[in-house]
Parts: sequence; C-alpha cells; structure tokens
Amino acid sequence: MNNGPVLFLGLFASMAISWVTFVLGPLAQMGNLQPARTVAALPADYPNSPPGLAAQGAEVYRACGCAYCHTQQVRPSELGPDLARGWGVRRSVAHDYIFDRTAMPGSLRLGPDLANAGLRMDAMAVLARLWDPRLVNNLDAAHSMMPSYRYLFDVRKIGRAPSANALPVRPEFAPPEGSEIVPRPAARALAAYVAGLRQEPYLFEAPPPPGAVNTNAPASGTNAPPNGTNATNGTNATNGTNATVLPGGTNAPNPQSAIRNPQSTHDP
Amino acid sequence: MSVTEAPVPAPIAASPQLSRTELEASGAAPLLCLFAGAALWLLLASLLALLDSVKLHSAAFLASSPMWTYGRVHAAGDTALLYGFCLPAALGVGLWLLCRLGRARLAGPAVATVGALGWNAAVAAGVWAILRGGGTGYEVFEMPGAVAPLLLASYLLIGICGLMTFRHREAGPLYPSQWFVIGALFWFAWIFSTAALLLLGSPVRGVLQALVNWWYEHNLDTVFLGFAGLAPVFYFIPKLSRRPLHSYYQAALAFWMLALAGSWGGIPGGAPLPAWLAAASLVGTVLTVIPIAAVALNLYVTIGDALPALDGGPALRFTCAGLIFWVVAGAQQVAGALPSVGNLTDFTWFTTAQRDLFRNGFAAMTMFGAIYYIAPRLADAKCNAPDGLWKRSLTRLHFGLMLAGVGLGYVALLVAGVFQGVAFQNPANSFTAVMRGTMMALRLSALEPLFLTLGTMVFLLNFALLLNGCRARCRRESPAVAGMRKEGA
Repeated sequence: MNNGPVLFLGLFASMAISWVTFVLGPLAQMGNLQPARTVAALPADYPNSPPGLAAQGAEVYRACGCAYCHTQQVRPSELGPDLARGWGVRRSVAHDYIFDRTAMPGSLRLGPDLANAGLRMDAMAVLARLWDPRLVNNLDAAHSMMPSYRYLFDVRKIGRAPSANALPVRPEFAPPEGSEIVPRPAARALAAYVAGLRQEPYLFEAPPPPGAVNTNAPASGTNAPPNGTNATNGTNATNGTNATVLPGGTNAPNPQSAIRNPQSTHDP
Repeated sequence: MSVTEAPVPAPIAASPQLSRTELEASGAAPLLCLFAGAALWLLLASLLALLDSVKLHSAAFLASSPMWTYGRVHAAGDTALLYGFCLPAALGVGLWLLCRLGRARLAGPAVATVGALGWNAAVAAGVWAILRGGGTGYEVFEMPGAVAPLLLASYLLIGICGLMTFRHREAGPLYPSQWFVIGALFWFAWIFSTAALLLLGSPVRGVLQALVNWWYEHNLDTVFLGFAGLAPVFYFIPKLSRRPLHSYYQAALAFWMLALAGSWGGIPGGAPLPAWLAAASLVGTVLTVIPIAAVALNLYVTIGDALPALDGGPALRFTCAGLIFWVVAGAQQVAGALPSVGNLTDFTWFTTAQRDLFRNGFAAMTMFGAIYYIAPRLADAKCNAPDGLWKRSLTRLHFGLMLAGVGLGYVALLVAGVFQGVAFQNPANSFTAVMRGTMMALRLSALEPLFLTLGTMVFLLNFALLLNGCRARCRRESPAVAGMRKEGA
C-alpha cells in the first residue's frame, strides 16, 4: 500500500460499494414511489398531498427544529411499544413520507412521536401546547419539559371585537386583563400541519394486525379527530365533530370563536 | 517493500533538501488559521450546547426569541462543533501530517489559507442562517443550500493542497497515518457532494431523504472523523512513546475494514424503509468490531510497558484519552446496533451519549493532542523546546476539564438513556413520567458543555499566550534573522 493510485482506487471502491448499497439501490427501488391502494380499497390512494396551510406548517416545523425532540416514525410492535402507547395504528412505512418536502423522521424522542399526532389532537390542542405545554389540562403535562413557543403568538389588547383566532387559556395563566393571545400565521400553519399528521390507512406492507376487524375506512373519510382519542382532556368526551376540548377543561362551542381573558373570569 | 521497514515514523531531519524548520514554517499561516478558527468554533459550540441544556431544564428561558429556540440552537451547536471545529482541525492536522510524513513543503499555502478563510466564512453564514430559521431540517446537514457550494469549494482548495503535498512526498513506504489522512480527504468530498446533490440540489423523494441523511451522518462520524482522528493517533502514540508501531498489517486491516464496514450503518432498526437496509446497516456496524479491536490491540501492544514511564506531555495524554474514547464509543455503537439492545435504546439519550463521546471525546481530544504538538512548532519553528512554549498549568487544567466534562456527560447521558429505554417499554409509564425520570441525569450532563466551555477558554488563553510569546521573541531577534525567516515562510 505504498502506491498512491492503489490507495485511491481502494478507497474509491469502498466508497462506491457503500454508495451503491445505501444510496443508488434504494433510489432504484423507491425513488419513484407512488401513492398506493389501501387494504380497505378506499376510493383514494394513500397518501394525499397535504393541504396548503399544512405544507406551510411543515416549513415552520423544519425551521424551529421540532424534529430534534419529536420523531415521526412508529416502529412495528415487535421492535418497541410505540403502538401499545397509542402512537399509531400500524408501523410507519416509506409510503407515509412520499409528499414530505423535507422528510423529518427524527432520531431522538424527548417528546412523544408525532407520526399520528392528528389522531390525538386537533389544531387548537396543538396551539395550546405551543403556548405553554404545562398549561394543558392533563396531570402529566404539568411536568412536560417542552419549551414554550411564545414567539409564535401575539399578546395584544382586545380591540372593539375579540379576535377570531385568539387562544383560550386557563384563567390563572391568562394574559393581562383586556388582552388576548393570538397565534401568528406561523403558529396556525404549524398547528394545521401537526394536527394533520396521520399514518392511518392500512397498506399491503403495513397490514392490519391479524384478527383485527378491518378497517379505518370511515375515519379516513373525515378530518375530525375520532371519538375518545382527544388527548387534550380524556374526560370530556367530545361528540366527534369539530368540538374542541379546551385546556381549561371547557368545551368551546366552536373553535373559531375566541375565548379571551374575560373580565368575568372564573366560570367556564 | 518488507513489512519491517515501514512502521517507524522516520525522523524528519533525514531529508537532505529540507530542514525541519523549513518544513514546519511552510504551513504556518494556513494551519494556525485553521486551528485558531477551530478553537473559537468549539467555544461557540459549547456555549450553544450549554444554552440548550438550560432550555431543557427551564422551559420558559428565552421563550420569546425565535432565534434561541431549542431546535435551532441544537442544530447550530451541532453545526459549529462538526463543521466549525472538527473539520478544520482535522484538515489542519491532516495537512501537517502529510508535510511531515512525506517530508514535503505544504503545497500552495496561500491557496490553503484562502480555503480556510472561505470555509470559516461559509460556516459562519450557515450557523447564522440556522439560527434565523433557514436550517435544512437534515440532522448534521443543516446549513442551507446557498452556502453548500462555498463549503465544497473551500474544502476542495484545502484538499487539493493536501493531495499536492502528498504527491510531492519523498519516495518511500507510506506510513499508516498517511492512508488515514488521504482516506479522510476523499471521504468527506464524496459524502458531502452526495448529500448536497440528493438533499439540496435535486431532493430525492420522501423517506429517501432521511436515508441519505442517516448514511451521511454515519459516514461523517464513523469513517471521516474516524480516519481523521486515527491519523494523529497512529502518528503520535508510537512517536511520543518512542516505540515502533507494533503491526503494519493490523493498521492496514483496521483502515480497510473501517472504510468498508464503517460506511455501512446508521439506519435505525424500525425505520420506515425496506428491511434489507436495516439488516445491511446492522451487518456493517457489527463488523466495525474488527477495526476497533485491531486499532486497540495494535496501539496497546505498541505502548506496552512504556505506559507508566511516559513523560505525560499534553500531546500524548490527549491522544491516548481520545483513543480510549474512540474504543468505548465504537463498542457502544456496535452494542446499540444489535436488535436486542437497539430496540430499547433507539430514540433515547443512549445514542446522544455515544455521539457526544465520539465528537467531544474522540475527535476533540485527538485534535487537541495534535494541536498541542503542532502549534508551537509552527509558531516558532526554530525553538529548541517547543513543548515548553505552552503554559504547563493551563495545559493540565484544559485536560482535566475536558476529561471531567466528557466523562461526566457521557456517564450521565448513558444512564439517562438506559433508564429512558427501559422505562419506555412499559406503556403504563406515561411518556412524561419516563422523561421526568431522566431529569437528574440530564442536569448532571449539563456539566459537559459547561466544562468544555471553560476548557476551551483555557485553551484559547494558552494559545494566545503562545502566539504572543513567539511574536515577542521574533521581534527581539536581529532583523537579518527575521528576514530570513520570512523568506522561509
């Protein structure tokens, strides 16, 4: 090995073997992956490209480095308890990421996996967590180590009419009297993205568990979080439509309606 | 050639044409520039890591500033550490080794200086962009596409200087350190251009991006940094312990196995990819046992019973510590790749502990060891006792801080990772409860960036004193001598 060219050729060969195996091979196998038919033979193939607001939210997710704490990959049940924790209905597969402009499956879980965040939270619940995860009304959340993302919100005086997008908060952590917390566009996009994350339909490479009754056809037909899976507050079962469970434990009749810090604070 | 003649790094003065002084002086400007920049970046990286740790413990800290949000600070810290510190330091050490082992002047020192400045400017722009929200979202490949061409061009300038230096080497057998440096030079160019093309140029589809990202990160750590760090290890341990390298063949085995097996890996077991990729990754990672064992055995036998008698100069101490960290981190990487362990430890602090040990322990310690040897010889090539130019007390303090920081941080994160992995297995433990259980160990691990920050400050002070002392001595010398030295440079 005293010959420069031999050294170079050997290195090049080693590099080429690795490159062909881990880059070129997979590219040939999956480089042109298309949406696939689902097991339940839903009318639409899976997946669909995300709506515009969610696509913008993915950019916010990337820019804020959310992937440094949250993975978006559910392991099969023989490799870990991800499914047992309710983080998904099946393992993640390559098809789930086809429309990700930047694929961010992550490598460290300092927070829960978000591959199916949309099955557990709606946009309002995501916003509440972004403002302050510890205020979410759930025993566990009080100890969350997730940072607050205050810069995604404006705290401002309520004008003549309250803002349609203001964030509801618990009275004791409310903004100064007469103020409201309004998520900025980036926050709304991010919330739409996270609340839209779901790897739901069974595919041929990720079939339903043996013995399970098929399928998720009905759930995929709607954008609403399914019954009883709303992680914001498990005790207040929602009626499965667009009703939002607020961090304060109150049911808002409509997520678009603002609840600011009312002067008459304490009654829900 | 026969095996027996190769292993000893030959004394440098043997060259008839070039004196040691001339050789050392030829690369002074670009190499000192690379080292000083690297140390400043390490300081910044440690400060960012410290800020990150604080944010993990007090969630409201700097919550109103998008620039200092956890994910951005983390990405910027990783970038500063890898591209600001590890790469320039590795390039500087590599160029110096090529000069010394090939007994050749550094080719194109002006070009290398331009490359070093361009590289540092590109990294500065990249880190700034990440803090402003322009990160790419690919771990350890966060610098935006706009700076990638500048990075690559600067790297090529430095790399070509290295190859030209290698080409003009004195005829004779190659020493293992030379293979490692050449390997590192090529490897980074290949993986970086692949990643830049497939992630930024014309991005591949979906999860293939993650695959390229994992492949890049694994190659960067295991092969590039492995080569770049082992090159000075193979040079300094035999040289400073005054023993010939035990086995040339074992070194060759380690080199080729690291290139072949080390480049296969980094894919988590449960990744949303075809199963054969995870299997191939597992095979490659497990096979890295061979280079780890070969290097450890080779150098252990080389030092032999000389270990207690070593004079304990900073170069040897740092290099030996770095080598030990490499062995531990490599063994942990192999263990973590085994499905029985990996299923517990994937996505936990366990992996972070391993990466931190690899970067802050192995890469940083071996680079500092080499810099402690090289810098005084560059700054004052005529000095008869160059090692005495360092302040001894500061050197010892730096070593102590780094060892304590890396050791404490590693043990704490390892404990946190194992606890996290085991507690996570039981779905009855809520995720927040699992994370809460790691808090005490996490607090302890915050000492690592703190100690590294202090240690790097101590090093920078020492470095400044060294350069200042050399300059003062230079002025005192007669103008004629100073003029001659200038010519030599």
